[in-house]
Amino acid sequence: MTRTTPADARETGDGSGAVRRLAPHARRFLARRTGILVRLSLWSLAETGQAFLVGYGVARAVDQGFLAGDTRRGLLWLTVALVAVLLGAPVIRGVFAQLAGLTEPLRDGLVRHAVDRSLAHAAADGSGGTDRAAVSRITNQVEIARDSFAGLVLTLRSFVFTAAGALLGLLSLHPSLLVVVLPPLSAGLVLFLVTLRPMAAAQRRALAADEALGDHAARSRTALRDLTAGGTGPAAARRGAELIEDAAVAARALAGWAALRTAALGVAGHLPVLALLLAVPWLRGRGVTAGALLGAFTYLVQSLLPALHTLMTALGAAGSRLLVVLDRIVGQDRPEAEPGRSRRAEPIRPAGPGSAPTPVPAPRPPDRSETAYAAAHRPAGGTGGGAAVATPRGPAGLPGPGGGTPDPRGRPADRGRTAAVELRSVTLSYGVRAEPVLDSLDLCVAPGEHLAVVGPSGIGKSTLTRLVAGTLAPSGGEVRVAGREVTGRPPAELAALRVLVPQEAYVFSGTLRDNLTYLAPDVSSADLDAAVDALGLRSLVERLGGLDAPAGPAELSHGERQLVALARSYVSPAPLLLLDEATCHLDPAAEARAEEALARRPGTLLVVAHRLSSAVRADRVLVLDGTDAVCGTHDEVLERSPLYRDLTGHWNSGPARRR
Amino acid sequence: MPTSGSRTRRAGRTHGGADTATPGRTPQALVLLCSVGSAAVTVAQPYVLGRTLDLLLRDGGADGAAGRWLLLSAALLVGELLLDTLTSLFTGRCNATWTASLRSRALDGLLRAVPDRARPFAPGDVGTRLTLNAADAGGAPAARAALAASLVTPVGALAALAVVDLWVAACVLAGLPALALVLRAFARDTGASVADYQKTQSEIASRLLEAMEGTATITAAGTGARERARVLAPLDRLAAQGRHMWVLHGRALARSGVLVPLLTLAATAVGGLRLASGALSVGELLAVIRYAQLTAGIGGAASLLGAVVRGREARNRVLALARVPALAHGTRRLPPAGRGALELRGVRVVRDGRQVLRADGVRVPGGATVAVVGRSGSGKSVLAAVAGRLLDPDEGQVLLDGVRLDRLSREALRAEVGYAFERPAPVTGTIAEMVAGGPRRVSPEEVREACRAAGADGFVRRLPDGYDTPFPAAPLSGGERQRLGLARAFAHAGRLLILDDATSGLDTATEHEVDRALRRSVRPGTRLVVAHRPSVAARADLVIWLAEGEVRAVAPHHELWERAAYRAVFAADASEDEAEAGTGVEAGTGEAPDRSATRRSAPEGVRP
Repeated sequence: MTRTTPADARETGDGSGAVRRLAPHARRFLARRTGILVRLSLWSLAETGQAFLVGYGVARAVDQGFLAGDTRRGLLWLTVALVAVLLGAPVIRGVFAQLAGLTEPLRDGLVRHAVDRSLAHAAADGSGGTDRAAVSRITNQVEIARDSFAGLVLTLRSFVFTAAGALLGLLSLHPSLLVVVLPPLSAGLVLFLVTLRPMAAAQRRALAADEALGDHAARSRTALRDLTAGGTGPAAARRGAELIEDAAVAARALAGWAALRTAALGVAGHLPVLALLLAVPWLRGRGVTAGALLGAFTYLVQSLLPALHTLMTALGAAGSRLLVVLDRIVGQDRPEAEPGRSRRAEPIRPAGPGSAPTPVPAPRPPDRSETAYAAAHRPAGGTGGGAAVATPRGPAGLPGPGGGTPDPRGRPADRGRTAAVELRSVTLSYGVRAEPVLDSLDLCVAPGEHLAVVGPSGIGKSTLTRLVAGTLAPSGGEVRVAGREVTGRPPAELAALRVLVPQEAYVFSGTLRDNLTYLAPDVSSADLDAAVDALGLRSLVERLGGLDAPAGPAELSHGERQLVALARSYVSPAPLLLLDEATCHLDPAAEARAEEALARRPGTLLVVAHRLSSAVRADRVLVLDGTDAVCGTHDEVLERSPLYRDLTGHWNSGPARRR
Repeated sequence: MPTSGSRTRRAGRTHGGADTATPGRTPQALVLLCSVGSAAVTVAQPYVLGRTLDLLLRDGGADGAAGRWLLLSAALLVGELLLDTLTSLFTGRCNATWTASLRSRALDGLLRAVPDRARPFAPGDVGTRLTLNAADAGGAPAARAALAASLVTPVGALAALAVVDLWVAACVLAGLPALALVLRAFARDTGASVADYQKTQSEIASRLLEAMEGTATITAAGTGARERARVLAPLDRLAAQGRHMWVLHGRALARSGVLVPLLTLAATAVGGLRLASGALSVGELLAVIRYAQLTAGIGGAASLLGAVVRGREARNRVLALARVPALAHGTRRLPPAGRGALELRGVRVVRDGRQVLRADGVRVPGGATVAVVGRSGSGKSVLAAVAGRLLDPDEGQVLLDGVRLDRLSREALRAEVGYAFERPAPVTGTIAEMVAGGPRRVSPEEVREACRAAGADGFVRRLPDGYDTPFPAAPLSGGERQRLGLARAFAHAGRLLILDDATSGLDTATEHEVDRALRRSVRPGTRLVVAHRPSVAARADLVIWLAEGEVRAVAPHHELWERAAYRAVFAADASEDEAEAGTGVEAGTGEAPDRSATRRSAPEGVRP
């Protein structure tokens, strides 16, 4: 739909672009399979030879046998033909075996390509799960490509060999037969070629319409409960009806072109017969014998016409369809031209190798190498956003471990050690116009520390974890994990540094063991068992029938999915865990158990708190709100952050106000 | 409902029957007419051409007879051309019409379905069913017509053969049973292998969708390559199944490929003998050979049969969506003066043979806020679904202001009963459109007002295009999405608003603000709130306490709080407040407001 329309509008009626784009792919694909192509040609040649032998035997039997009154001779020639016929079965099987060698690799390649593209798109989107067209691409379109390709190979092959054989046969009978047959034949073929391009365009429109419909259907299924509850089902049905109608209109237009093509092939197939009939007196006058005429009709009606017929039925749409589908799957890897995408704020792109976008450049503040430990600060009183960038609070202004105040939990900051996480005046905004989500944030987390991030939702807590994880590049400033700058670092290196557990737990169809060892393939069974017990997954494991029983996301509740994701991070070797509300579907007891288990694990833990109890469990708390950021122990932030006091107050007023 | 399901099934079997949703028989009839016409012309051609040739050879085409036959030949050749063209056109249009009709039925069925019953259908799978499968199924009627027509040619050819020469006809007839056997085997093999192939395809699609939804984790873990391998793992099986399909296809074609020339040869031998004996002319021999070929061409039906078989499988897959039990609506409206009094009478919900909810005589006075409390799995969400008719109880009734919910028209029901969920589904439009989407028109001011009440205004305005930011392009956290879902519910609030865990993603402060706004800024009415936190239950007027699918009690929180079993619900399942309060004490919140001390006493009482 929106994704496909612009490309469509741009390329309507233009098949040559697709041909240009696809030609190199096609050449590579075929070049790698010259062996198969040669074998296929040989089998086809065998088929032609076999067919010729059959025809020759029959002709001899009639000519020298039955017409000459020699029935024995006639039957003898028919026996020759019979042997040739019996040879036909293995030949056809051979052709199809070779055909599979072409179509199946093509399908495999297309599926791989489509999967790669969808995964890349999802990764680029950050959110994921929105590109439902992916499904159409790997089922519908790939299948169309496979069928079309098979049909194309079979018919083109048979047409070329048969037509060449028939024309040669005509030539050998009498050259003047060609004069009669060739004009209507070539007229039909030319007409056929002319329809190729508009048909490709019609095909492209039809596919786009199908894709839009598939998209809508999948989305409606996802949203079914909401559509029903919100009374928006009829609206979705109307939109669906429109899309179905669009698809039908496109399909009907396509049917028109297909009919025209059928007519073209009819001209090529039937008119030569008519021409031959009309030309009989003229041909007789030029010395063409009755036997030769019989042969000519045999070639036309029994070889060329069936070959054209199969060419018509298979090629009817196959050629242009194949072109269009291949172009959709392979040809158009265009990163530009996605409406909506261009409007999107760039930082959403992952900071992959080489990309490292710094989309909304913020003035880089002077490098403060002496960033205080535990200093998470924004401009003091900075209600005006970035106005006061250069007024960092000194260490003295912030009582924290680094500022000389001893950590009450006995974790004196060690200036000599590399910080587990370090943010230096990190700024992020989602657009030039937009208010920054984070504004000159400084933060230092010591190795082994357990930090909770607290604040109203939407204030930038998730953004913070993604910045630390390196999946989001800051608009300004620097993010370091274990002393290494994360922006632009390859995913594999990042994965060794930290694990990010997002709110949307990822569980895939596979065994529970596969899911748990996702980030640590070499983990021992004992460690895995320990993780299962530590996070309270035992009952789930038993319900599913053991670690090696198949499990799919559909069989797990949201809470169970989160436990699986947490246990996965528990066994991972990465020294830093980032939990982004990763416990929101757990009940408080399960959450406490999970967080305590993760805190006991050696390494640093950064938790975006879903409940305040998470903050109380942490060594230090970072409180984010719109204008200020405060970091310290629970007591310290209680003292210094009005928001935190407010939050704790709300929560304390919980159980029974009426009492 | 089961009734509608069985009705759909019956309609599905009698394709093209009286069901209004189906396109009727006209498109098929056109295909049948043209293809039968074309077949008839094909049958007439060999005889006429042979005869013409004979005449032309005999007297050089000088006399009138040859001219007439020549004209007839020309008419037949051009006629076949035209009829083929029309067949192609009508086939395409018939496919388009049927495909559209099947798609409509499936999509309507899906959108009418009881959401809970649509669970077996994954979104990617639904997409496949409505595109690829629907196209295959939509091709079946025309393929059936073509199949019928394709029988005309061999049968007609056999009849013509009998007219020209009985001996040859008898010879060909003798060979036909072998051909029939081959074709039957082909249809059987194809059906099974196609279904397997389609299943594997769907598996890859489902895995891909899973991986796309887990993008955040995959991107962070840098496991893209492994995900790719996992998604593509069934590809080898798919390739093997694909090869198997080609092998079967090749084998069937090889069989029929041998049979047809064999039949032709036999016909030629008999025809040749007849020619030698002077019973046949050259032109007649030509016709006889061609007729033998056409008769044996019954094998051409194989590919059509394949399309019909594939269409049948695909049709089942598509219409499975139409057969999902539907939520049928009545025609009644609610009394205008009602305030949203809710009553559950003898309600019983059974899922997979297990009772998941039993609620009898539960009454919620209009305008009250009622919290639904219970351990997880106690039936809270089922109650929420039944109360707003996302699900019909298997027994009993739910009444709103005295009217049974299933008697209400859809409009009346959805205008007065609203929902907000834990995870609102994503939409394609802008944020403003998402919040405005619902049974009635909502002005931009109302959208903003609802967003303010749901605490969403702030972050929405911080987005690149504010309220006009497309929802899919907005980087939103779960809590933010949840607040947009709340805003949508607020904008459309009727006399009953059901919040099914709809504030779980909100931090305590935001939740409190939303609760305040709900009391002040949103249209007043009855609220049913599925709650995990005692604070929410405490704020409610009434609590429905569920345990193992049964209603244990309906009473205010402070009354229930006297009972240890009720307190235990929160201790085990939602001990949040207690746990937090406890740790809060350890952390030495000396300056916490002194009233907290009294409140903390109760939860402490139940701590082990």
